[in-house]
Amino acid sequence: MIAHVYIELKKGVADPEGENTKKALQLLGFDGVRDVRTIKVFRIELDELDEDQGKRKVEEMCEKLLANPVIHNYRIEIG
Amino acid sequence: MRWIQLGEMDCRGIWGDDMEREDIRVAVVRIEGTNCERETALAFKRLEVFAEEVHLKQFYSDMIRDEDKRSLHDYHAVVFPGGFSAGDYIRAGAIFSARVRSVLRKDLKKFIGEGWPVLGICNGFQVLVELGALPAFDGISEKPEMALGINDSSRFECRPTFLKVENQKILFTRNLGKNVVMFPSAHAEGKVIFPSGREEEYIERLKENNQIVFRYVDRNGDYAGYPWNPNGSIYNIAGICNPEGNVLGLMPHPERAFHPVSHPEWTRNQQKDGDGKGFFEGIVSYLEKKV
Amino acid sequence: MELDPSVYISRNLPFELYEVDILNASDEQLAVISDEMGLALSVDEMRRIKEYFRQKGRNPTDIELQALGQAWSEHCCYKSSKYFLKKYLFGIEAPQNIFVIEEDAGVVEFDEEHAYVVALESHNHPSAIEPYGGAATGIGGILRDVVCMGAQPVALVDPLFFGHLDTPYEALPSGVKHPLYLMNGVVAGIRDYGNRVGIPTVAGMIFFDEGYTGNCLVNVGCVGIAKKNHLIRSRVGGVGDVFVLVGGKTGRDGIHGVTFASTELDEKSEEESRGAVQLGNPIVKEPLIHACLEANEKGLLTGMKDLGGGGLSCVIGEMALAGGFGAEVHLERVPLKEKEIKPWEIWVSESQERMMLSVRPENVDEVLYIFDKWDVDATVIGKVIDEKILRVFYQGYKIYEMDIEFVTSGPEYCRPYTVEKREIQTSVFDVPEPEDYEDIFRSILAHPNVASKEFAIRQYDHEVRASTVLKPLNGIAGWESHGDAAVIKPLEDSWKGLAITSDVNPAYTKIDPFWGTAVAFDEMCRNLVAVNSVPHSFADCLNFGNPEKPLRLGDFHESVRALGWMARNLGIPCVSGNVSFYNETPYSFVPPTPTLMGVGMVEDVRKVISMDLKRRGTALILINETRPEFGGSVYSSVRGFEDSNVPKSSPEHLRKSIETMLSLFSNFRILSCHDVAEGGVAVALGEMCIGGHMGCEVEIRAERADIALFSESATRWIVEVKEEDYTDVVEFLRKSGLKAGVLGFTGGKDMILRGAKTTKPLIYMNIDEVDTTWRNGLSRYMG
Repeated sequence: MIAHVYIELKKGVADPEGENTKKALQLLGFDGVRDVRTIKVFRIELDELDEDQGKRKVEEMCEKLLANPVIHNYRIEIG
Repeated sequence: MRWIQLGEMDCRGIWGDDMEREDIRVAVVRIEGTNCERETALAFKRLEVFAEEVHLKQFYSDMIRDEDKRSLHDYHAVVFPGGFSAGDYIRAGAIFSARVRSVLRKDLKKFIGEGWPVLGICNGFQVLVELGALPAFDGISEKPEMALGINDSSRFECRPTFLKVENQKILFTRNLGKNVVMFPSAHAEGKVIFPSGREEEYIERLKENNQIVFRYVDRNGDYAGYPWNPNGSIYNIAGICNPEGNVLGLMPHPERAFHPVSHPEWTRNQQKDGDGKGFFEGIVSYLEKKV
Repeated sequence: MELDPSVYISRNLPFELYEVDILNASDEQLAVISDEMGLALSVDEMRRIKEYFRQKGRNPTDIELQALGQAWSEHCCYKSSKYFLKKYLFGIEAPQNIFVIEEDAGVVEFDEEHAYVVALESHNHPSAIEPYGGAATGIGGILRDVVCMGAQPVALVDPLFFGHLDTPYEALPSGVKHPLYLMNGVVAGIRDYGNRVGIPTVAGMIFFDEGYTGNCLVNVGCVGIAKKNHLIRSRVGGVGDVFVLVGGKTGRDGIHGVTFASTELDEKSEEESRGAVQLGNPIVKEPLIHACLEANEKGLLTGMKDLGGGGLSCVIGEMALAGGFGAEVHLERVPLKEKEIKPWEIWVSESQERMMLSVRPENVDEVLYIFDKWDVDATVIGKVIDEKILRVFYQGYKIYEMDIEFVTSGPEYCRPYTVEKREIQTSVFDVPEPEDYEDIFRSILAHPNVASKEFAIRQYDHEVRASTVLKPLNGIAGWESHGDAAVIKPLEDSWKGLAITSDVNPAYTKIDPFWGTAVAFDEMCRNLVAVNSVPHSFADCLNFGNPEKPLRLGDFHESVRALGWMARNLGIPCVSGNVSFYNETPYSFVPPTPTLMGVGMVEDVRKVISMDLKRRGTALILINETRPEFGGSVYSSVRGFEDSNVPKSSPEHLRKSIETMLSLFSNFRILSCHDVAEGGVAVALGEMCIGGHMGCEVEIRAERADIALFSESATRWIVEVKEEDYTDVVEFLRKSGLKAGVLGFTGGKDMILRGAKTTKPLIYMNIDEVDTTWRNGLSRYMG
């Protein structure tokens, strides 16, 4: 089973990486770049066959390591 | 060097009166990618205490030989040094803290509860935050209560930083003898972030508990923005402690300010000692007196 | 690619191995084979191989040919450069030499018990294709060169060269990346690798010229420190020694890196050469360094060498032969990143973060424990044998057997060369004095080759290890300016230090490779002396175009000749170095770029001198003569004229100047000192004012003030001394045979430069304006 974990900054948390990338893109002459946000994706391969079990396991990974709840939201996609 | 076999005795039990300096034992905990352990241990050794760089594996791993095995309770102070533990992949300090949590959580909780000093410098601060050991309003938290985010400049920033000592009463700051110190900063993720919408509440709480220890100022001692505040930290926070004052995390590096010649302006104004020396002396003199 | 089965004969084995029929191949076919296999060997070289195998009575295997391609590449055997290096540069005797030239890094005496180790290398081609990974692995490689001598790295240096940042995208040849993209990628690569392994990046340079548009240059240097009794050589100890491969796993990354570095880049290079770019992993490297040094310090190793260019194929043979022996290797034991990798690929892979150790059999367990403790892979892969033969086995089958001496006997050429005189008819006397000096001064301050490099310097951790005494930026916090050389205090219990600088001005070498190189050497010495250190040794990284073109080789010849002339006459040994040819595309070639890294000995770091102005009311003294030398100057570029008269140096005068300066420092209180280089006296003064956040008032009495202010004549310094000392200082200098004169005095918040002809000052600028102009020169391109 493959899980994709998207780690995203919460709304209202500044995203300097995104903002600076936006600035760089504008400097390169790309017009109309309204917003750039950084999202981190982990692709995790699991032995687990049961989808619910797998999802719970990945949720635990997020809680324990992959995300910091103060600044991050996470989203898990299985498949 | 005094050699203490694991399990032989709790070596900290040997004192009764004031402790001799050479009996004080400090652990600087390393894993792959921590890279300030050498100079951090040296800062203690210069004050004639025993300090060693200990790999996290020495606390738990079966492959470690007996003579290399260690317990947290062999030490009187524990330092998480600067660096890029495990490459700072995922988030700065996240992997190191997850490993500490899985093998040392109980020991560390006890250690902190007994009032021994725990220090996190730079990446070590990030580790303590991820561990929930800071700000620890109600003891060590299950989940992180704050974050050290990417600098506003979105870059690594290596520059001298001046810090106003907001709490001069804790063991780490008692011997500084100054209101403003210079400890250099060098990090890419040092911006203090509190949960969105609750920033005021957090700052108030920290203030009430005297937990704000260092705040960034300019070289005249006034609160100022970038580059004096190198990362955009809220309320210019550079370092905080737990409510009890024995756990401190800070982004700037006191171990890089030990000698007078480490100061960026030393060729202009000579000081007798670097500001960092007083910082480490505070820890040592606290331990000398702790009975 | 379809291979001719009558030439590439597949052996019937459980894995892929070809026998290559070269015995029946014509010259044309030999050329085709070299090309098809990516060997980059010439027909002559292929014929020599054919002859060797004719005597053996068999055809070579693919792995044998690949090994020869590696061993005989320009990168590994210096076939085009060695002749010239031996003739001019090698063999400078000096009492401080311990191991020079012969090893991966130079080893020089630091004090009775310690030695310092110096290495400088290029990582140009990979960085042009993939700037982030290329530059990062450059740092990785140079660290290994220092570690494999048994030394702890203490400082990194990174001289970089790019095309102009304002190059229009339309003007870029196809396949060439924009200089801004390359620079940001390279700086990020150095930052992320250097910072993570925890070695401070303390010096460097960034230089812009259109010649680097298609060929950026990324040079990286490293200095380390070791106890003399911990020094270790890249050679095995004796028969029975075991080879232990440690560090990262082996993969397809970095296949043919050396042959790639030994040819010109073209627009197809990107696609074809991605494989040659290695990926670095600093978090394997960091514990690898600790583990290697720990095993070495415990006396468990007989030899150590890093796996760089050519991978296993170079390291095993060279280590064995240097000890006077041969080796036997079992390739299937090598830990791999991926399964589907052929034996020859394992043999030549340049995967990063690997080192080779030779260990007495009784010490192997202890070595394996140390590496296990650090979670670093360590695997026994072979042993030392008595005959000078290298045998490689794979799954029990012998797939390689050659005499090591044959493999390492790479060719050496004295290729034809032509020395070109670039005579330019115009000079500074053909342009009138500027009407607005301030305007010119502003343009010079903001010129990318002069302007602040703070954006890069501050991204590098230059203070980790807490031993950087003089940092790359000097002055009042918030107003720091470029220092002349960084100073490191490498030992805990000693005040002795090492000053480090890297220098070359390709604007000069482009016009005159001989004098340009001589002046690079002069500048290196100047910078070391300015901080109060004694120039002690240097390393060179010689970046040139295609040596098979006589004009390029002529430039190389002149450059090496000048370097040898200066170094020999000053008695400063060249202790290690690297040659990088083929920095050339069908569209352009790089200016001759002999990058130098100088190391100076600091007796007491507490006596180091920085370049920022210290006090008000002090005197500023210019030392040595200013001549109308404007070839390659920033002034000529700003005003748009050409001049072939580049600055010159003389070893005798430089030597006398160094001695006098050092004795000046011990006889007088010198408050600050700065070398005069790009942009001349005006820029040197500007930088001193910026760092001290203080003004000055200076009077220029020369007929042509622009010559006095902007000429880039070599061997000059500006010193700041207390007012009451200045007559004595000037007299001291003159008595020693140097020219010296008072420029003016410090103070105020303005930089005021007066000429002889008008009452209105030539330049009257607030120092904040000087500061901002200089600081924004580069950052304006970055946003």
